[in-house]
Amino acid sequence: MLRPRSNLAVIISALLGLGGLAAIVLSTPGLVSDALGISLSLSAPSRAMLIVAAGALALVVVFAPERAERSRLLGWGLAGLAGMTAIAVAPTLDVVILILLALVVLQAAAPAARPLARRVRAPAFAVALLASGLVLTRLGGPPLLERLGAVGLVAGLMAAIGALPYMHEFDAEESTAASPIPWAAFIGPVLAVTVVTRARELLPSASGAFGAMLIGLGLLNMIWGCLASWRTEADASAWRYSFTGDWGLALCGFGLALPEAQGAAVLILSSVLLARLPLYLWSRQALREKVRTDRPLNLLVAAGLAGSAPFLGFGARILLLHSATALYWPLALVIATSLVLWVPSSLRLGRSLGRPSGPQLMGIVLVLAVNVVLGIFPQPLLLLAGQ
Amino acid sequence: MARNVGRAGFRSHALTEVLAFAAWLGAALVVLSDGRRGLALGLGLVAAALAALAFATGHQPGGIALLAGGLVAVGLRLRAGPESWGLMGPGSTPRIILTVVAGLFSLWIAVTVATGDDAALRFAVLAVLGLGGARVLQAREQSASMTAISSLALALGAAAAIVGGEPGPAPYVIAAAIAAAGSAFSPAQRIGT
Repeated sequence: MLRPRSNLAVIISALLGLGGLAAIVLSTPGLVSDALGISLSLSAPSRAMLIVAAGALALVVVFAPERAERSRLLGWGLAGLAGMTAIAVAPTLDVVILILLALVVLQAAAPAARPLARRVRAPAFAVALLASGLVLTRLGGPPLLERLGAVGLVAGLMAAIGALPYMHEFDAEESTAASPIPWAAFIGPVLAVTVVTRARELLPSASGAFGAMLIGLGLLNMIWGCLASWRTEADASAWRYSFTGDWGLALCGFGLALPEAQGAAVLILSSVLLARLPLYLWSRQALREKVRTDRPLNLLVAAGLAGSAPFLGFGARILLLHSATALYWPLALVIATSLVLWVPSSLRLGRSLGRPSGPQLMGIVLVLAVNVVLGIFPQPLLLLAGQ
Repeated sequence: MARNVGRAGFRSHALTEVLAFAAWLGAALVVLSDGRRGLALGLGLVAAALAALAFATGHQPGGIALLAGGLVAVGLRLRAGPESWGLMGPGSTPRIILTVVAGLFSLWIAVTVATGDDAALRFAVLAVLGLGGARVLQAREQSASMTAISSLALALGAAAAIVGGEPGPAPYVIAAAIAAAGSAFSPAQRIGT
């Protein structure tokens, strides 16, 4: 009925989305609700990630890329947001993984260039790994089982977000909804926060091993993501690898298991949602046309993506370095050295935005402004995340 | 009377062991088949065995949900995909080895390493998850991928029965719905070989 009236569809979907967002904003973190006999509760970090993800969706829909259909973008975005909310409020990790599997099936329905079997391969394998890890943590027996479970959960999380060693197959020409980008940059943040929080409760004696694996894979993704983003041939692939680099930082934050480091992880994931994702979507047209420019705006975008002051990524990096120094200073040294790697890749990505105009230009200016404000005053976001 | 109770216990143990073997066999069929009949038979075995194991561990509503979801998935799978059994075609030796190794590894974890009751359920869930994950990685056709996803959903639903206490109906119902939805996809054309 709404197919020929796309504006009406957008208005109705936007109202429904705003209603859902209001429910999330008004919810009390940690409060258990027994609606329909199922215990639902929302943790503060998950709630913060959901609100930030809703903000990112609003940015992308309001300043929709030229060739994108706004109603389609909003429809897929709201479906993803509904799934993310279900992941965040789910009573157990079983249900979280089942909802993830439902999202895999939902994404399979999106029209795409790649065959379905290749599109579902990585996220469905992630479900198998996460589920195996969960089952192993539940079995009674020697500590070996808990450690094997930790391996399964970490491997599953990596496969779900498309980080090394489970990079998703990427086709630059594919629509964003059917591509691996939503896993890395939209659903991934809420999923990671939820899985890491639940895993710590499930792995009391293997939490050290769990954190060490996250830090190790975080460093690997950080270095590989930045180098690949700088050196890879295609600009679209460079954007994709840049998400991997940011995930490396966030994984280090989760692995360090200090409140400050958790805050850093939340800030980095917020910068992925509020800066890297919309900027990637707005760069797609310029990527197709192979337009590269070195205007001041491009340099500002590069500075934001590199996490320099006063942008959001800067505060996150400072918090991460501070907590790494408190725990084990050589780790801080490695992280600090690898931060330099963001500069060449970010300059390249900034140039790849081309000459934005109209709504895209307004969107980019707004993204930069939001990132500067949150970079100077990150406290409201950290308070929202319970840090 | 004590002898009767012991005999009943032995019979119950034997039954759960047969059900666990059936679950592994079903998952192995999903790995080894490329045709709709073979995939449907495998999925049907997985669904029936996991539902019966959920029943045996005292999760009757969950067992019913898994069985219902599995039956719908089997019915839908029979309507789409390459029209054959497609069992153990040429070049399937690595897949046969995979099913045996995955079965043995799951058995080792479930029986030798892990402790406590419900070893049959542990084995069945681990074997179906392992083989389902392997099938998803290796599949080149839509029908095989989606059948593997359905079997993963059923195994995840049955995994809720491993938790001590009452997991509630949510995991079973969601798992059954995903299993059915996974089979609702009809492949438009044959992809790959």
